[in-house]
This record gives sequence, C-alpha cells and structure tokens, in this order.
Amino acid sequence: MSETRIIDVGEGAAIPSKNDWGLFNAWGISITGAVGVILYLYLFESTPYKRIAHYVADGIIITFEVTFMSIICACCIGLVVGLGRVSKNKAINLVASTYVEVIRGIPLLVQLFYIYYALGRFLNVHDLTAAVIAMSVCYGAYMGEVFRAGITAIDKGQTEAARSLGFNTKQTMFLVILPQAWRTILPPVGNEFIALLKDTSLVSILAVSDLLRRGREFSSETFLYFETYTMVALIYLVITLLLSKGVSIMEARLSHYVRH
Amino acid sequence: MSATSAPTPPIVDIRHVSKSFGALKALNNVSMSMSLGEKVVIIGPSGSGKSTLLRSINKLETVDSGTIIVDGYDINAPTTDINRLRMELGMVFQSFNLFPHKTVLENLTLAPIKLKGMSKAEADDIGIKLLDKVGIREKAHVYPSKLSGGQQQRVAIARALAMSPKIMLFDEPTSALDPEMIGEVLDVMVTLAKEGMTMAVVTHEMGFAREVADRVVFMDHGGIIEEGTPEHFFQNPEHERTKLFLSQIL
Repeated sequence: MSETRIIDVGEGAAIPSKNDWGLFNAWGISITGAVGVILYLYLFESTPYKRIAHYVADGIIITFEVTFMSIICACCIGLVVGLGRVSKNKAINLVASTYVEVIRGIPLLVQLFYIYYALGRFLNVHDLTAAVIAMSVCYGAYMGEVFRAGITAIDKGQTEAARSLGFNTKQTMFLVILPQAWRTILPPVGNEFIALLKDTSLVSILAVSDLLRRGREFSSETFLYFETYTMVALIYLVITLLLSKGVSIMEARLSHYVRH
Repeated sequence: MSATSAPTPPIVDIRHVSKSFGALKALNNVSMSMSLGEKVVIIGPSGSGKSTLLRSINKLETVDSGTIIVDGYDINAPTTDINRLRMELGMVFQSFNLFPHKTVLENLTLAPIKLKGMSKAEADDIGIKLLDKVGIREKAHVYPSKLSGGQQQRVAIARALAMSPKIMLFDEPTSALDPEMIGEVLDVMVTLAKEGMTMAVVTHEMGFAREVADRVVFMDHGGIIEEGTPEHFFQNPEHERTKLFLSQIL
C-alpha cells in the first residue's frame, strides 16, 4: 500500500493535533485567552479600546482581502510551479526551478518594494494590486515546493497503476496523483496560508490600509501605542488561530480513506 | 496440455530486446512470444530481469534495443498510441497499487468511465459482477485501506479486468502477501486461466506454474536460460543453472 510520508512542517502557527482534548491544549488556551482579553478590554476598559477596535475594523477587512486574493493566486501559481518542478520536460522544469530559486532568495519586503516602487516607475500599479501580486509571486514559489513535495511523496506504484490502465500523464496527475497529494499537502499549505496572513502585515509599508497600518495611524495620532498594538496583536492572534483550526478540520475531513 | 501447433500470429512478440539500468544489464538480447490464450509463467532468481521483461510488454519500462509487438502494434513505434494499447493489457502489481482515495468499486470503474466513455451505471454493473467473480462484492463501497492484502490484490485483478483486456500481466502478484492469503489470489488467477485468458505471470509459486502454465520460462542474468512445458521443466530440466535454481526452491 502506498505509505504516506510526512512533509516537514515549516513556519507558521502549529496546527492543532486531533488528539488534543477540549480547550485544554495550546490552541484552546490561546484562543480563549485572546478572545477573553479582547472582550474584557472592549467591554470594561472601553474608553480607548472601543475606539481602537472601530478604527482598525476596516483594516481587518483589507487584511482579509489581501490574504484571500493572495492565497488564491499563490495556490494557482504554486500548482503550476509544482507541476513544472516534477515535469519531465527539461525546459519547463528549469523555468520552474529558476523561479523558485530566485523568488525564495529575495526577502518578501524587498519584493514588495520592488513591485510597488521599482516597477511602479514603468507600470502604474494600484497599491493593493501591488501587494497582492508581490504576496502571490512570493508565496507561489513556496507553495510550489510544497506541491512538488506532495506530488513526489505519492508512491510511484500509483502512477504505474494508472498508466497501465491506459491513462495518459495528465489524467494520471489529475485523477490519481493530485487527489491523493492534497491530503499530504494540506497541512504545510495551511501553514503557508497562516504565514501568508501574518506576512500581509508587511504591506502596511506600502499605502495599503491593512490592520497593522490602521493601528499605526491610530497610535501616531493618539500616542496610545501600548493599547493600540495590544489590540492589533490580539486580533492577529485570533484570526491566525481560527485559520489554523479551519485547516485542521479540513485535514481531518480529507483523511477519511486512510487507515488509522 | 499445450497445443503447440497453432499457426496463429503471436499476440506478444518480443524480439532481441536489451535493457540496461546503468551498468546493470537487466535484459540481454531476449526473445519470447506468446500466442492468444497461452499462459506463460516466468520464473527465476531476483534480479534476473523477469519483472523488467514483463514490464517492458506494456512499456512501463522502455527497452534500449529490440522490438516488442503487441496485438500487431510495435509498442515503441512513434505512431503507436501506447495509452490505447495499454487498455488491452491488464497489469497486476506486487504491491497492489489500488487507488486509496477511491472506493473498491470506484477503483474498478474509474478507467472504464474515463477511458472508454462508459456510463456510470454500466461501469458499476460490470464492476459489481467482477467483484462477485473475485469474491468480494460485499466490499464494493469500502476504501482499499480497510481490506486485507489478499482482498486488495483480488480487487487489483478485478480492476485490470474491468477494462476487458486481451492479455493479463502479473508481476509477482503474491510476493507481498501473508502466506494464508496467497491461496485466495491464486484461486482467482487459476479461474481466469481456465476461462482462456492470455496470461504472463512472474511468480515464485511453483505449484501455480505446474497447474496453469502452458510454458515455463526460466530467466537468469537478463537472459532466458530455458523454456518448456511444466512437465519438461520440473522433471527434466536441461541446464545446470535451472537444476540449481529448482533444487534451491523446491
């Protein structure tokens, strides 16, 4: 039987284990604590915190927008890059590999500056668009590596079985390999999502009014640095924890055919 | 047992085939043919090239030189649609290789639906009949990971049969099985042989070779050392190498 190899989990928040019980685990304590503190501050220390919460609310929306659009684009790029990296066609393989090497060798912040300021000299890119492009291009490379690892982790016998039935390379990939690879890929992809969400805070450097930038604006007007950044940090934490839970639920759903 | 007079053109014709893996010569100028309905059992020590020979028939291995004609088509000719030809060649692997993300029945119906354009109802119907035949109809809707090795291999045989192939290739189908499960898989293969299926079987099961084979082929070091009927092969082997091998395994 094809064994499932574990893909090394990289950066990003830890995905809660299915064996954890109730709320008495790292995830449960974190989410209860974060939500509890936010509620407490909002309801009982409401003088500055209510104002902060209302001020940064539309920043949360922008953060979600950037995250969502970047995840979609990065997944598409990642799938193409991953397929390119496992392609037997040398030219395609080389292009995909070079892309990964180059992008992973440049810090995301530099890529953001590059696309917004450097390319901004030739192209008139909207700040939000520039942010999404930079995030997608960068995470597409990382995602590509995750896809590649997931595809190559599938037992060679699966390809042979599919080919021996008469499926061509493409059918084999889309009917047999990728549906299985998804399950191995999901935890590391989920971690990339979470890392991506956190990295969207970098776009506050551009003129994108995301959660962090709204916080910066508020604090520089009011000098309430402690209160503002406490709130901002807690909001990021809650979003990240919820996302990681979502990923682990999806993972559990996808693993239904595996023997435990 | 075998009618060796048939003038019918061979359905598989392997001519002067060689194949190397790096410095290792896996196949060294091998020629072999099979006629329709014939059951050929290929035996030999591990590393003798028997699996490579079998896998080269459906081009899972590409040979370096020589020609292989299957059902009238040169499998290495650029004009041959290998994917079409593979539909005529059922293959059963040592490690079963069932699709773990599909139920047992879906394993059987995937290829007929996608490759032959069969309706789901028709494919399900054929699938259920085949599962009946291999004796695990009740497992139609479970996932392969819930099955024993013997059951998985029987599903794998049924999956190959679902494409109604002309030839079945078996690559050590019982080698990964616990001893108590070998019988159930061999039973299915014997039934298949009795129905007249053309079969090429790489195996270490000498009992099966004796019972089913029209011809036994003994390979060693990438070449065919000796071939003949089971009677000849097991009672009067000619070559020292064959005698040595048989003395080791019987």
